[in-house]
Amino acid sequence: MRFLALLRKELRESLPWMLLAAIIFLAIGGFVLRAQAYLGQPSWYYSGLSPGTVVDTYRLTHFSPLRMTGSWLLVTSIGLGLALGVRHFWMPLFTRTWPFLIHRSANRPTILWAKLAAAIISFIIPVGVVWVALYRYSCRPEIFETLPTKRVFIEGWLFILLGLVAYLGTALAGLSSARWYTTKILGLAFATIVICMTIFQWRLGWAFAVLVVGVVVLLSQIIDAFLNREF
Amino acid sequence: MGLWIQISSGSGKPIYVQVAEQISEAVAKGELASGDKLPAVRKLAAELVINPNTAARAYSRLEQAGLVTTKTGSGTYVSDPKLRRSDAADINILTERMDTIITRGLNLGLEGQDLIAMFKGRLAKFVNKKAERRKND
Amino acid sequence: MTETVLETEGLTKYYGSTLAVDHLVLKIPQGCICGFVGRNGAGKTTAIKLMLGLLRPTAGSSRLLGCDSAALTPAIRQRIGYVTEGHRLFRWMSIAELEKFQRSFFPKQWDHKFFADMIEYFNLPKKRKIKHLSIGERAQVSLALALAPNPELLIMDDPTLGLDAAIRRQFLEGMIELIMRQGRTVLFSSHILGDVERVSDRIVVIDKGVLRANCSLEEFRTAVKKVTLSFPDSPPADVDIEGLLHCRRSEKELELILIGPADEHIAEWAQRNGAEKYHIVKMNLEDQFIEYTAPPNHRRLFQWEEK
Repeated sequence: MRFLALLRKELRESLPWMLLAAIIFLAIGGFVLRAQAYLGQPSWYYSGLSPGTVVDTYRLTHFSPLRMTGSWLLVTSIGLGLALGVRHFWMPLFTRTWPFLIHRSANRPTILWAKLAAAIISFIIPVGVVWVALYRYSCRPEIFETLPTKRVFIEGWLFILLGLVAYLGTALAGLSSARWYTTKILGLAFATIVICMTIFQWRLGWAFAVLVVGVVVLLSQIIDAFLNREF
Repeated sequence: MGLWIQISSGSGKPIYVQVAEQISEAVAKGELASGDKLPAVRKLAAELVINPNTAARAYSRLEQAGLVTTKTGSGTYVSDPKLRRSDAADINILTERMDTIITRGLNLGLEGQDLIAMFKGRLAKFVNKKAERRKND
Repeated sequence: MTETVLETEGLTKYYGSTLAVDHLVLKIPQGCICGFVGRNGAGKTTAIKLMLGLLRPTAGSSRLLGCDSAALTPAIRQRIGYVTEGHRLFRWMSIAELEKFQRSFFPKQWDHKFFADMIEYFNLPKKRKIKHLSIGERAQVSLALALAPNPELLIMDDPTLGLDAAIRRQFLEGMIELIMRQGRTVLFSSHILGDVERVSDRIVVIDKGVLRANCSLEEFRTAVKKVTLSFPDSPPADVDIEGLLHCRRSEKELELILIGPADEHIAEWAQRNGAEKYHIVKMNLEDQFIEYTAPPNHRRLFQWEEK
């Protein structure tokens, strides 16, 4: 009951941002896919090939039209992560509503979990749904010559989760009461490192491993910071 | 009832003294006759927006002066003038205050006659009101 | 013996090297309205936040309703109302949404009718969003939110700051209304001493983080006295009167701020030291507070000098 009330509040506060992110990604991703469908294959990839060349079909399919939306997905989800982190953990500082939120008949962990749960829902639902929709759309052979692989689809989810890392980094920075040029920035710095390291992994398994480690470290820091913070 | 009491919260007089004095004055002027019921402490506190303890303190001050009596479970009533005790100390205070007033008057250059006339004039205000009220009753 | 609802022991808080609250020892009995006064920056907000467990004390501890402030359980918090400084509420919520939200934290004790009546009395539209309310209207919502769950202990951090006289009065009425219910206690900080005098029966004075008084309002009113004495020659060099707080001297006069001595005692001292005349100044609470918290070598900001 109390958790649900808190969750509803946090979701309502996240709503504008998740709608914005979903709309932006849908617009850009849809535009990119439509443009690819209109232009046909990414001809730049094999335009220089002479007859008889052996083509790595795996790489060919890897560069499906859907993959062109991947970088946009990454930008959108990191942007959404930053926006939600600011909304959940910085705005209460600016509007001075922390004391009003904290003093109520709920444990501090409950208040924190409501925020984190709201953030996860705000990621998975809007951006995830759009991503699935774009994947389904790009899987239609009558429109696209190269169809996306499963890997492209899973990479997309990796990017969505990187948005969560950005969110946790922003949250940690917001919870730190140090000065901005000292340890306050560490949360964001760590999140940046995790994001870069994840992107640079060639193997999906390693990428997920780095991501999981990053999320666990950030999460434990956030829990510790939130429970011990002065408001 | 209660509305004619004015609290001024910035004054040097404690609030319970203000309440007690205004009730005493109302009794002296006959606006409150003996046997009249005063509002309950909580009602007075709510109406005047003062602490209930302050209101209770005002009543107990009046009670000490013999101006009101409290009947348990029933309320606070203005007591019968015949039953109000006036001991030597009270009379002494009164005499002292009169001395102060006479001193002020004489210092201002008034004659004894003027002072007596003034005193009678002021007294009439109290007594007339009391008589008026009796007629109305 | 009445129960103690609020108790602090050596409560101390440093912000870096700045001492905000210094070994506060405080006991507030049940059933009183306690005015918490102190100058700007005296440490009132810090003390309140320490009591509510929003800040961690550097040393010492405090207990609310018998529970340590650092570990207030939801069940205890449910019995404690808190009105934050500046009435900061969630800006995007409407009054109705805010009530619904707040209500879910008081499952059994929320008085919806009381809340609705108050909002109607204040003439506030329930659909109006908090961000579109004026500070006064926000304060009214905040007061209704504080009273509707019928808290056993209500702590308000300068609730009447910047409010007009009418809304300030509503806050005072609210406090009186709450205190009339059985076993309720209110602690509120304020800069308006007239308000404190009107509704409190207890006063806590804090100055530069140090507790200066914690007594019944009446005791404070009778204890703090200002006496002016004039002497034929220069006043005595050594002022050895009991309860002396401040002593200001001019050529032939002494102004003393005293704590506690009876009027007869003052008269006796004046006579013994050859004062020509003396006068015990009747002060209101505000004057008493200013004199009581003034630094020892305090002088007026603007001093008229006779030439």
